[in-house]
Amino acid sequence: MHKSARAVALVCVLLGQIIVHAQEFKLLDRTVQVHGFASQGFVYTNDNNWLTMDTSDGSAAFTDFGLNMSAPINDRLRVGAQVYDRNLGQLGQYHPSLDWGFADYRFKRWFGIRGGKVKTVVGLYNDTQDQDFLRTFALLPQSVYPTDLRDATIAHLGGDVYGNVSLPQKLGDLFYTAYMGHRRDSLYSGATYIATQYGIHGSTYGGLQYGADLRWQTPVTGLLIGASRLNENVTDRGNFLNPLNPAAGAFPYAAVSRADWMNQFYGEYTWGKLRIDTEYRRFLHDQLISPLAVETITDVRGWYVSATYRVMKRLAVGSYYSRYAITSVAGGSLASLFPEQTDTSLPANHIYDKVITARIDLKRYWNVKAEGHFMDGYGASSYPDGFYPGVNPQGYKPNTNALVLKTGINF
Amino acid sequence: MRMTHRQEIATRGPRALRLVAVLVIFVIFGWAQAIGGEVKVIANRSVKADAITAGDLKRVFLEERIALGDGTHVEPVLEKDGPVHEAFLRECLGGTDDDLQNYYRALVFSGRGSMPKQLGSDEEVMAYVENTRGAIGYVSARTNTEKVKTLVIGDDSNHGERKLIRRVEPNYPETLKRLGIGGTVRLQVTISAKGNVENVEVLGGNPILGEAAINAAKQWVYAAGHSRSVVEINIPFDSQR
Repeated sequence: MHKSARAVALVCVLLGQIIVHAQEFKLLDRTVQVHGFASQGFVYTNDNNWLTMDTSDGSAAFTDFGLNMSAPINDRLRVGAQVYDRNLGQLGQYHPSLDWGFADYRFKRWFGIRGGKVKTVVGLYNDTQDQDFLRTFALLPQSVYPTDLRDATIAHLGGDVYGNVSLPQKLGDLFYTAYMGHRRDSLYSGATYIATQYGIHGSTYGGLQYGADLRWQTPVTGLLIGASRLNENVTDRGNFLNPLNPAAGAFPYAAVSRADWMNQFYGEYTWGKLRIDTEYRRFLHDQLISPLAVETITDVRGWYVSATYRVMKRLAVGSYYSRYAITSVAGGSLASLFPEQTDTSLPANHIYDKVITARIDLKRYWNVKAEGHFMDGYGASSYPDGFYPGVNPQGYKPNTNALVLKTGINF
Repeated sequence: MRMTHRQEIATRGPRALRLVAVLVIFVIFGWAQAIGGEVKVIANRSVKADAITAGDLKRVFLEERIALGDGTHVEPVLEKDGPVHEAFLRECLGGTDDDLQNYYRALVFSGRGSMPKQLGSDEEVMAYVENTRGAIGYVSARTNTEKVKTLVIGDDSNHGERKLIRRVEPNYPETLKRLGIGGTVRLQVTISAKGNVENVEVLGGNPILGEAAINAAKQWVYAAGHSRSVVEINIPFDSQR
């Protein structure tokens, strides 16, 4: 049996056992809750290989699972932790990580603190992007939530302050989160994977991350709007072996942020069984690479509009349009390797994705999804945005249609 | 006269149809009554407040509040499904059960909250609320809630209190007063959004005094609110006065 299939089977058996049995127990007179999830996907594309999988032949290398425990220490203090693991083509490769683990103390409704490894709040779904059972879609719009770059924004080792207040005159509620901490990417992320294809073998990737999110539950029933800002100062270290001159041998490499920030604006409207989301994200990544002393500037802009409708208790359908555009400029000696890319009308600088989805809930804890993606463009080959040269050695076709099947359980 | 087989069927047909129609009406009526049945919000006796605004009640159930304004710790307890749960969703939280479950799962899997207790019946919710400090739940309005506190739900502008505009004093039966029979009658009063008293039930006290208290309370008038409220009131009968 294939390694991944064995792992999935084992996880399913274990989770199945846990679902059957209690999901909470008493420890030192406190109730400890245990929750978990697992999902298995299959992706088939008609042309380009996608998300580092061999999808043109059909790939099931699309597995993830997580398990968490949490308990109240007293009325205001809660502790908990979650372990997460995934295998997505070349990414993750079943290297488990502490997804989050922190203590949370709520002084007042308007002021609480969390310390430890904390999920980063950006937009509607950043902190819950791994839990696809929360949504109708199998894949979130990749223009705003690229699954191959989850490590870049998923969590920080540090702290949050958060709270919510009611506005006077029945103007709704405001929710805020401000955070600061250290981001550390896995060496099995999309960023490090694409770097290896250009001779860069990373050893560490991370740095300071701080930002804030503010959302307003408006007086209009079901309407939420918000904005997030994230600033970073990250350093990517490793060895560089110039593919144009391998005889020169490898030498130390470091890429340091000059400007690294993300702005995100979003809105959500729910009306009965209908839900409409829209988000816009801009990510600017300006870094200085040494010892080459060259600067690269990558400017990513993405947005989407999605709608989902629960047709009946066990059936929901949805659709979204996701639009992603990237420009990149590299100076110095890298200019020959990465020519300037600023024309976003080219398929090499955009991905426009039309998606339709159906989700069936076989049980309250078990869902199955079928999703069609109709993509125009394949994004930049020098940036991790779904299409990688390493799994597309023959080059890219301008359009890609994808079928995504996914099933997941949670308890 | 003996009926032919065809006549028998012809007679049975309408009779059977009538029976089916009666059953259908009964089922529909019964179902509608269950769905339309009111929900009572109950709390453990450790909860100091007697009233809670609709907004705060929603915040408690969405785990945005873990303490009320007076500092009392609170925790929500829900029913898993059924007409009472549906009515509570519709009247107090808005949205569907799927939305609510996904909301809780998002809290659980991002570490920002825990899964609240979800129980199978009014009786289970009553027992849990009675025995758990800070627990706030909901049950059918028909449930006997003597062992817990019934919270008044108000709109956000008057912080859960319904202002009494007109109070009619109860008629203290002279015989009982002479015999020194008095005490306090505890009533549960349902107030419409417009402020009229819709229903009064005796929760405790002398039954004869209870009758007098009901007659008086039915004439009370409250200030208008945004929704129907259920409130517990005490009416004293002092034989020494």
